[in-house]
Amino acid sequence: MVNANKADDLSLISRFKAGDISAFEEILIKHQDRIYNVCRYMLGNKDDAEDAAQDTFIKAYRNLRDFRPDSSLYTWLYRIAVNTCLDYKKLPFFASIFRGTREDDEVVNELPSDEPSPERLYESKQTGHALRVGLKQLSEKFRTVLILREIEGLSYEEIAEVLDISIGTVKSRISRAREELKQQITKFTEQK
Amino acid sequence: MRCKRARDLISPYIDGELSERERVSFESHMKDCVNCRAEFEETLHLHNLLTGAERFSAPYGFSTRVLANQETKTPRKVLLVPLFARFTGVVAVLIIIGIGIVSGRFLGRGFSFQKSGNIAASFSLDIFNATPPDSVGGVYLAMTEAKNEK
Repeated sequence: MVNANKADDLSLISRFKAGDISAFEEILIKHQDRIYNVCRYMLGNKDDAEDAAQDTFIKAYRNLRDFRPDSSLYTWLYRIAVNTCLDYKKLPFFASIFRGTREDDEVVNELPSDEPSPERLYESKQTGHALRVGLKQLSEKFRTVLILREIEGLSYEEIAEVLDISIGTVKSRISRAREELKQQITKFTEQK
Repeated sequence: MRCKRARDLISPYIDGELSERERVSFESHMKDCVNCRAEFEETLHLHNLLTGAERFSAPYGFSTRVLANQETKTPRKVLLVPLFARFTGVVAVLIIIGIGIVSGRFLGRGFSFQKSGNIAASFSLDIFNATPPDSVGGVYLAMTEAKNEK
């Protein structure tokens, strides 16, 4: 499945390099959801997420001719998206004042249940809220690895490629990030 | 396997990143150690919550907007200048203006009487006197006036 996807992406890239612009549209449609999703979790609101995701694909379009097939297209796209989101968080002071505060969107945890009871729905919302608060308290590097691993489902090797770090560092960061998140959630639930 | 080692392997075990040998050793430890098993179950629960979190789809019309903007839009560039350095120029200008204001008030206060004296002097009609008192003509006039009085 993974190999078939990779072969498909390489075929699209070859077509794009040969001058077929519609190949980029296919790449965009194929990967837009995962890129938007990672931007949404990294930035916390839909407006910034859409801006960052757009910028990601614009950068990808401009640099796709230089793409080397030794890495996979989606890890390359993730790398651009993560770096774009990290840059967004480094806005100059006055720009962030005039931009105003953008409210973080609620990320609600959905339970896999056909007919959730009101109690379970309430519990689900509380859990989702605690998770969101906990994630927000993490440092950038911990939050990033958790989003890539837990939410995007990337392997340790793929995360290492996206972040340009060793697999050992990925392993260590994920362990520490989970510990830290557990502590943040415990602190949050104890305060309530 | 010791507990510290087992705890280090909890995350990679959950993520399927252990070798076969490590996995067997880890599972054996989990059967025997209540504390480690409790920690493992907490981490597994957290992992399940996160992997069950909502996945967002790109908003309606996203790809159309990207294709429309790809030729014209410039991706946002961020000056990677340290936060304190961004304020340095502004602060320097404010300090210079402040010094200027304070200096101006200070200097103005010191010269006020002398200035008014000089201003008054500049409007004096003495400058139009054809024979200033300390000139030869002025002395001659003073002598003839004194003689006439006698």
